[in-house]
Amino acid sequence: MLNPLNNYTLKTNFQRFFVYLFLVVILVISIIPIWLLLVNATRSTPEIQQGLAFFPSTHLMDNYRILRSKGLNLWLGFGNSTFISLATTVLTVYFSMLTAYGIAVYDFPGKKPFYNFIVVLVLLPLQLSIIGFYHYMSKLGLTDNYASLILPAIASAAGVFFAKQYLDSMIIKDLIDAGRIDGASEIGIFHKIMLPIAAPGAFTLGIFSFVASWNNFFNAFILITSLDKYTLPMMVKTLRGDVYRTEYGAIYLGLAITIIPIVIFYALFSRYIISGIAMGSVKE
Amino acid sequence: MLRKFYIVLSLVLIASFALAACGPTATEAPVAEETEAPVAEETEAPAVDAGPKVLNVWSFTNEIRTMAIAYEGKNPDVDVIYTMIPMTDGEYQTKVKAAVGTADAPDVVALEAAFVKEWVESDLLMDLNELLPYTEELQTYPAVVEVGTNDGVSKAFSYQATPGAYFYRRSIATECLGTDDPAEVQAMVADIDKFVETAAKIHDCGTGDYFAVGTAGAMFNPFLANRAQPWIVDDTLVFDPMVNEYVDFAKMMRENGYESQAGQWSEGWFAGMNDTLVDANGTPKKIFSYFLPTWGLPYVLIPNSTSDNTDTGGDWAMINGPLAYQWGGTWVGVLDTAPNAELAKDFVRFVALDEENLTNWATGVYTNDYLKAIDPETPDDQQQPSGDFVSSQVVVEKIASSFDDSDLAKWLGGQNSYTAFAKAAPSVNGKLMTGSDDAIQRALQSALEQYLNDEVTKEEMWPIWLDSVRNEFPDLVIPELPADFME
Amino acid sequence: MQANFRKNYYGYLFIAPFIIGFLIFGLYPVYDTVYLSFTDTTIMSPNSAQWVGLKNFERLFADDFFMRAVRNTWLIWLLNFIPQIGVALLVSVWFTSTRLKIKGVGVWRTLFYMPNLLMPASVAALFFALFSFYGPINQFMVKSGFLPEAMHYLQNTTVTRGLVVFIQWWMWFGQTVIIVMAGMTAISTSLYEAAMVDGASAWQMFSRITMPLLKPILIYIFVTSLVGGMQMFDIPYMLTDGRGSPAYSIMTNNILMYSKFSSSKGHIGAASSVGVLVFIMTTVIALGIFYFLRDRDSQ
Repeated sequence: MLNPLNNYTLKTNFQRFFVYLFLVVILVISIIPIWLLLVNATRSTPEIQQGLAFFPSTHLMDNYRILRSKGLNLWLGFGNSTFISLATTVLTVYFSMLTAYGIAVYDFPGKKPFYNFIVVLVLLPLQLSIIGFYHYMSKLGLTDNYASLILPAIASAAGVFFAKQYLDSMIIKDLIDAGRIDGASEIGIFHKIMLPIAAPGAFTLGIFSFVASWNNFFNAFILITSLDKYTLPMMVKTLRGDVYRTEYGAIYLGLAITIIPIVIFYALFSRYIISGIAMGSVKE
Repeated sequence: MLRKFYIVLSLVLIASFALAACGPTATEAPVAEETEAPVAEETEAPAVDAGPKVLNVWSFTNEIRTMAIAYEGKNPDVDVIYTMIPMTDGEYQTKVKAAVGTADAPDVVALEAAFVKEWVESDLLMDLNELLPYTEELQTYPAVVEVGTNDGVSKAFSYQATPGAYFYRRSIATECLGTDDPAEVQAMVADIDKFVETAAKIHDCGTGDYFAVGTAGAMFNPFLANRAQPWIVDDTLVFDPMVNEYVDFAKMMRENGYESQAGQWSEGWFAGMNDTLVDANGTPKKIFSYFLPTWGLPYVLIPNSTSDNTDTGGDWAMINGPLAYQWGGTWVGVLDTAPNAELAKDFVRFVALDEENLTNWATGVYTNDYLKAIDPETPDDQQQPSGDFVSSQVVVEKIASSFDDSDLAKWLGGQNSYTAFAKAAPSVNGKLMTGSDDAIQRALQSALEQYLNDEVTKEEMWPIWLDSVRNEFPDLVIPELPADFME
Repeated sequence: MQANFRKNYYGYLFIAPFIIGFLIFGLYPVYDTVYLSFTDTTIMSPNSAQWVGLKNFERLFADDFFMRAVRNTWLIWLLNFIPQIGVALLVSVWFTSTRLKIKGVGVWRTLFYMPNLLMPASVAALFFALFSFYGPINQFMVKSGFLPEAMHYLQNTTVTRGLVVFIQWWMWFGQTVIIVMAGMTAISTSLYEAAMVDGASAWQMFSRITMPLLKPILIYIFVTSLVGGMQMFDIPYMLTDGRGSPAYSIMTNNILMYSKFSSSKGHIGAASSVGVLVFIMTTVIALGIFYFLRDRDSQ
């Protein structure tokens, strides 16, 4: 007679085996394109043409030389993207926190509808108004200008939504009242008391807005015209085009350069990122 | 308190606006390797006032940058700011259009054959008729002037004339056709039927490992150059019989295995030039010939004829091929809004209508060292190899014989390509070009590719093409397809 | 109390920058897009635009082009969303299962999520390189005997569409796993314990406890994914020629909009009409689902 408990653990182990197998398969699928990219970035073009390989070769520097020799300055795009992403991040974090704090702390008339409005905004496909945005920016003379990419961050509905979720769990009315008794101004309380306490949330929000801005192709592609202002994703398009044609090693290396910073970034901050995703959605 | 905060806030806002807004005025820096600073406002500002006169030039390759540097050498008080935007999928065209009328608009724009007409027909380019006397002096090929002219107003000029040619591998010709003599090979490809016969011979002789051409689309330009009418007449799309013939021809090439399925400008197409083409099994494949115009020789064929282990230089020959055609070319024009019109016009004159410059351009004077002596920041690979075919008959006649013993001639097994092109150039005509060619042809090639790969039938292919044309030109009248297009 | 009441008006000052920013960068562009969609404005002649009424919209429905873009976008979105949510539910159930006790949940999850952070432009360029005719996938498929000869993957409508679906799935399922798991861990374990005592099967627990309590989260995922999916651009744009080739099989709403924007004259009026219609379609469906399902839930 089989012991029912044994049967149970046997079944569990059996199931567990398939679960792990499935997870490994998905993991391989998740990682393999990235791994191939990194490996090919170190292989010479003839090596790449000879077939797949899963281990790095020794041509990293050759590829880098070829990459640099064709007139495409990826580092310029790197700098441009970094500047835009940092500026966007600062504006998003600060103004989202400011707005969310206003909603969370003050009971002004119209607050409920205003917050509901922001929630609706999160769900609107506002990118579809890019043509109007472009037309309007060109009238203002702001096309081919980073201002048109950066300043909209002041009104980030998703940022406010996230910040509100975060602040709701953070705000301690007593601290605010204590600040008021000490004679601090309202904005002073926000700056000196709330922002430091909310720093982890601000940091998480910052990571998301940085990554979103870093990867943003569509808006920059429509708004930016001159090559010295190209962002990194726009340069990837050049990399894909005629200029590099047969230089596969260099192309892979160029692509690797665009993603490695994010991978490193992720390795350092994955905890914040993952908890941030959960926080942005789980409520209700 | 809060008021103070708002003052600070508005200052920050204004500052960020100002910081970002001063971007365009200081647009500097082409994609020079050296430019490390992404936000170059402060460092680049001085260029604007006092000092040198600034000229903004946009192009889709780095070719004209060479002339820009040479121009700076002649005019030390001029600072040419050169911007290169790649033409992939029409990116350059979109960017220039988007910049027109804004503060960032360039002064001088380079216009490729595929879209130069669109600009010449618009009101966006400046009247350059005052440069016409130079074209007489230099005997610029009439077709080149005609392309840049609309209703009697010349708006763009080119430094190139671009008759087409047919380049083949001598070793394969000897092996498969029994001779590598240009005159005899020309006789074997004298018309389309003979070309097909020869393609079959090449295919059989290499037992499938030799291809007559790299791609089924190889003869796109030769066929289209022999249409009777342009694409658009009276706002109506024209279905020229040549279009249908070309489609059938391309399909036949694919089905018979006469081409390597390596699309134009794809890695396999280039690999064939230096004998490194291998299929997915690792079997080496060879491509017998390429249809390329004047510029194809110095810019495409020669630079790609060597790889790490192979060199096909000297193994090539050049003939007219089955059909006369022209392909490509770069024109330069001045935007109507250019603030420094005289300077811009002079730049166009220098680029397209200056005897000394054209001579230097064609004979390899503009080496990297030459350019570095003028502008030390010139990138290492910026230079002009000799051999580009220029638009002035005066210059062509003067320099043609100088190529008799050149490296270029050695590369062609002793042939002087310049003399050959000089014979073909006067027959070129620009009458078929319209402003809409680029979009119509790109859409056709994309639809044809589907048909070649058996993804769609021929009947299904036409609507794919026409939908795209309709989407691109909403006001264009598209008549019924002729019945024989469906066969 | 009085002071507090007056202080509440400070709230307006705190939200003022957002409102101003929204009016300038959010609302006005929407208004301008709607306005442009009734004109024949082009980039080449921005100042000679005419009011053309509904002509742009009539043209969108005059042939099948626009509807094809809408159908493509829905198809690509649905085909990646269904496996995305399916795999995410499955993986999340395992990860939160007290019986299976999967090890290293955090590590798995972290790795699954990584593709989401990669630059979509680079991802598309990477797949373009991998699947090109003389590229590594063909070498692998032919040498290992899966294919008799190399094929033009990106000329085949099914393969190309499948690749876009796959890339979208690949980039987003990790995020969905995280959100679903967060929702599952928020469900009180006492519910499951009670069910176990009553002898419920795993499937019963999943369908009777997990799914109903997860509903708000699932709606959130559904709606945000839909809104994002309707604006899909980077991947299909960069994977082939930027016009949805082959045979417009991956031409999405935004690609059609961009192709009108970048057409030879730059028909921004016509491009706006695409934006307006897709905006209306997406908004009605997204908000409809959101409110319809939410209200029923709270009753």
